[in-house]
Amino acid sequence: MIRRAGLLLSWLLAAAAPLRAQDPRLAARLDPAALRSVQPLVDSARALGLPAEPLVSKALEGAAKRASAERIAAAVRALLADLRTARVALGPGADGPAVAAGASALRAGIRPEDLHRLRDAGGGAAVPLAVLAELVARGVPADTAVEAVLELARHGVAEPEYTRFERHVVQDIGAGIPPGVAAATRAAAPAALGPPAGVTRGAPPAGRPRPAPPAHP
Amino acid sequence: MSDLRGDELLERVVAELRRPVALSPDFDARVMAALEPPSPWTAPLRWLTRPRTVTVSPLGLLGAAACLAGLVVAGAALATRALRVLEPPPQVAVAPAPGPRAEVVRFVLAAPGARRVSVIGDFNDWDAEATPLRPAAAGVWVADVALPPGRHEYAFLIDGREWRADPIAPRAPANEYGVPNSVITVGARSS
Repeated sequence: MIRRAGLLLSWLLAAAAPLRAQDPRLAARLDPAALRSVQPLVDSARALGLPAEPLVSKALEGAAKRASAERIAAAVRALLADLRTARVALGPGADGPAVAAGASALRAGIRPEDLHRLRDAGGGAAVPLAVLAELVARGVPADTAVEAVLELARHGVAEPEYTRFERHVVQDIGAGIPPGVAAATRAAAPAALGPPAGVTRGAPPAGRPRPAPPAHP
Repeated sequence: MSDLRGDELLERVVAELRRPVALSPDFDARVMAALEPPSPWTAPLRWLTRPRTVTVSPLGLLGAAACLAGLVVAGAALATRALRVLEPPPQVAVAPAPGPRAEVVRFVLAAPGARRVSVIGDFNDWDAEATPLRPAAAGVWVADVALPPGRHEYAFLIDGREWRADPIAPRAPANEYGVPNSVITVGARSS
């Protein structure tokens, strides 16, 4: 009797779990067909320990842009695949924002093995990965962008310095310097970014030669 | 003998009385000050400070209390209205729960002729009504939004139907819905 009651309780909890996990924003904004396609993908992400918020956001974006249910489902499915790849590349220790930023970097053309290298160098957090994706979007070649962010990561710069670095590169690009040259030059002199108050910058690895800044055209 | 002594005594008293009295140098000034006319505030002040007995009926007391309560309520309402007027206009639209490390980002779009412009992105759940821009000058629309650190995708929506990417921001690589998004990366505050 007790065993049957336990089984019944387990069944009820299992049946109630998807209801609890359903995002009210999806139910409010998606049509029934899109909701039926998207909700299982969001549930899968949660079950795998992946961040579900980017998937919800992608679905809401499709609803705002009046995309069809099939298109919304395809976009969410593709993003789920990128999140899984980013999770594998960044390792189980990466948090949700880092995995989401890693997926964005993959979509920008960064290879999974480069995400792995960044993680090993200490640049596997959300902000460095977001800066990496944005550099590529600004026209910096993917390989150059990876090397630039790796350089900063090896110097142990703090998060604000990544965004300061990105702003410097954007300024340089605006001034007419080719994007790749701007990123490589700025990354070669991370000290010029200026450490934030109270933050001790990590020492660079001993004996490793620093790349010389490329000459401006 | 006794007469002589009496005359001498009388002469001495008379001499003493005839001797001029030595007055202090500021005597005249003190006398003149004492003779100056009283201040015009003296009488009202005395009237106000003089204690007196006032008799009030219970009904009159209730009326006075009601008047006082009305004045307090009206004063509070006026003060609240004045504070609302003094408040800055709602320029900063805060995205849901931006957190303590949020950074205020200014979105600007030149859209002459537009009647309504919104910025829509992952920071406001792609809600067209959440973050309207305000007209600044000569067809320029502006909104200040507090964003949490990280990478954000967004686009502008003009008059509820025309999507437009931010011309001064990089484009997002993925474009699944046929409408390009822009990207902004917000870093943690440096101080």
